[in-house]
Amino acid sequence: MRALITLPWPRLSLTRRLTLMFVTAATAVLLLLGWVVATSVEQHFEELDMEQLSGKMALIRQGLQGIASPEDLIPYTHQLARSLVGHPGLEVLLLDSHQSVIFATEHAGFAPELVVTQANQRTNQTALWTLSGQTYRALAGQVALAAPGTATQAATVYVAVAVDMGHHQAYMRSFLQTLWLFVAGAAALTGVLGWVVVRRGLAPLRAMRAQAQVVTAQQLSHRLPVQRLPVELAELAASLNDMLSRLEVAFARLSDFSSDIAHELRTPVSNLMTQTQVALSRPRSADNYHAVLESNAEELEHMARMISDMLLLAKADNGLVVPHLDTVDLADEVRALLAYYEAVAEDKHLELQLSGQAQLLADRLMLRRALGNLLSNAIRHANPGSCVQITLVNSATGISIAVKNIGDPIPADLLERVFDRFFRADPSRQRSSEGTGLGLAITRSIVTAHGGHIAATSQDGVTNFTIVLPPATEHG
Amino acid sequence: MKILIVEDEPKTGDYLKQGLTEAGFTVDLTRHGSDGLHLALTDHYDLAILDVMLPGTDGWAVLAGIRRSGKDMPVMFLTARDAVDDRVKGLELGADDYLVKPFAFSELLARVRTLLRRGNKTPEMSVLRAADLELDLLRRRVNRSGKRIDLTAKEFALLELLLRRQGEVLPRSLIASQVWDMNFDSDTNVIEVAMRRLRAKVDDAFEPKLIHTVRGMGYVLENAACAP
Repeated sequence: MRALITLPWPRLSLTRRLTLMFVTAATAVLLLLGWVVATSVEQHFEELDMEQLSGKMALIRQGLQGIASPEDLIPYTHQLARSLVGHPGLEVLLLDSHQSVIFATEHAGFAPELVVTQANQRTNQTALWTLSGQTYRALAGQVALAAPGTATQAATVYVAVAVDMGHHQAYMRSFLQTLWLFVAGAAALTGVLGWVVVRRGLAPLRAMRAQAQVVTAQQLSHRLPVQRLPVELAELAASLNDMLSRLEVAFARLSDFSSDIAHELRTPVSNLMTQTQVALSRPRSADNYHAVLESNAEELEHMARMISDMLLLAKADNGLVVPHLDTVDLADEVRALLAYYEAVAEDKHLELQLSGQAQLLADRLMLRRALGNLLSNAIRHANPGSCVQITLVNSATGISIAVKNIGDPIPADLLERVFDRFFRADPSRQRSSEGTGLGLAITRSIVTAHGGHIAATSQDGVTNFTIVLPPATEHG
Repeated sequence: MKILIVEDEPKTGDYLKQGLTEAGFTVDLTRHGSDGLHLALTDHYDLAILDVMLPGTDGWAVLAGIRRSGKDMPVMFLTARDAVDDRVKGLELGADDYLVKPFAFSELLARVRTLLRRGNKTPEMSVLRAADLELDLLRRRVNRSGKRIDLTAKEFALLELLLRRQGEVLPRSLIASQVWDMNFDSDTNVIEVAMRRLRAKVDDAFEPKLIHTVRGMGYVLENAACAP
């Protein structure tokens, strides 16, 4: 069995697939959220550090600008040291223009080149410096000492302020750890919840499956309950129900057909068996055997015809009868048929009349057979001495072919059934030697295969069969 | 005339062989496609009758093999499947005729004779005769025992067919298709009626009777007095 729908990934259950999708989506959202939070916290810390550093820098700058000569730096450094008490983690380094240390806090052992390079950039950006395993955020600048009158003696002092980031980093580490744990936990929880939700959500589908399992060849009449299903599934169920209906009709037709076949073949087969076995029951003359074989041959011929007729109908039912369209002059076709039935009609003193003409696209052989069956039916049921009329009408809406005969009326309730297989208006004529009882059924199948329809009317002894076919321009 | 039959169904094969042998043909029968192809290529046959469904090499393959070797004898297919595609395929491969099972033996025989006749040109005769019955094709006149008989156009065509194929049993379906160009079985006994009317004109007032009904098979025109 070939799969009708191919899936792009390996076959997973719908529940698993949806759960997996839930988890993926939730994890993605949580990760994004975590990233945003972590970034903003980090940024916040940076801003705090920056504020502290630039504040200190401004203070030192102000202090230094009030100093006239390098000698006055010493008292200032004492003052600076005092002001730094109670600011753990804040480091300050002052260098003179020769990069010698003027003042340094306990851990401020930064490389002078680093300070000078950063200071020379004259940007107000922080740099990250690492010293004995600690990371510092640092700000560096240079200050020209004020030297009133003696501009040439002016000296430059490099200032570096740095703050130990160990604290913040430790905080960020634990924060991120918590965040990842939370994301993982949330993903797992979403998975479990998603699975529960999906299972509950798909419950109608399982219910539908249980319903569908009830349907078997014997119980094709069972239908899925459309009203009790969610909208999306209701549509699916309705489509499935339609499919079941079509199957049911086809199945019924098939089993009817099978029983018809069995029934119709039973009589000739039983005749053949009886006749042959009786003939064999004792020695007979050659003439006797001859007669039996002749009778058998006739019976078998009849059966062979019935089989090919039934095969044609079976093919038509399955849409396998495809007309080979050709331009057909209807009047010519009817005239050929009238010539064929001429002798039979004359035998019954019937007059065959044709009026009108039409052209259409049709399968010549099939159309001939369809019309032949109608004509033969009309001739068989016409009153001796009456007239059988064939009227062709060509109009914009279609081409109609009417075959009218005067004879025994068909009761109104049987009019629809005359096209049924093996239908006989008079049940006492169980098996006429003439036909297989499939002629009109074949006519209808051929007309249907051509996109047309056929109907019968019977009034005051006038029976009228009318075929309507689509006009030549629209067909094909 | 030599005919090759390749048919795996035992009864069908045996009866075809018997029927065709009794109709005066020399018949070789084989059950396998490969044997059939071998025979067709090594021996001379005037006609081959192939079943489509054969074990091993199927009928199509046998036909293809025959045609590939350049042999152009007529080939007739027998099949239980009546699909248009099959028919088209058979004709494309170079089959000359196609019979769907169940078929009447008389039909097969008539078609076999038609196929065999196709090859050799029989001299075109302008007058067809049987006993004291004469049919003049040019003047479209029929005489029996010197008396003129008036026939309708279709009766003339029917008698012409019977005379041309004297001694052959012609099935109704063949008559319907040859005389009226009707390729379907009618519910009505059209052929019986037409034949009865023809006999009334041609046979009733004369001896010997020429047109005979072969029950379950069809009709034959033969002069029983000089039949072998």
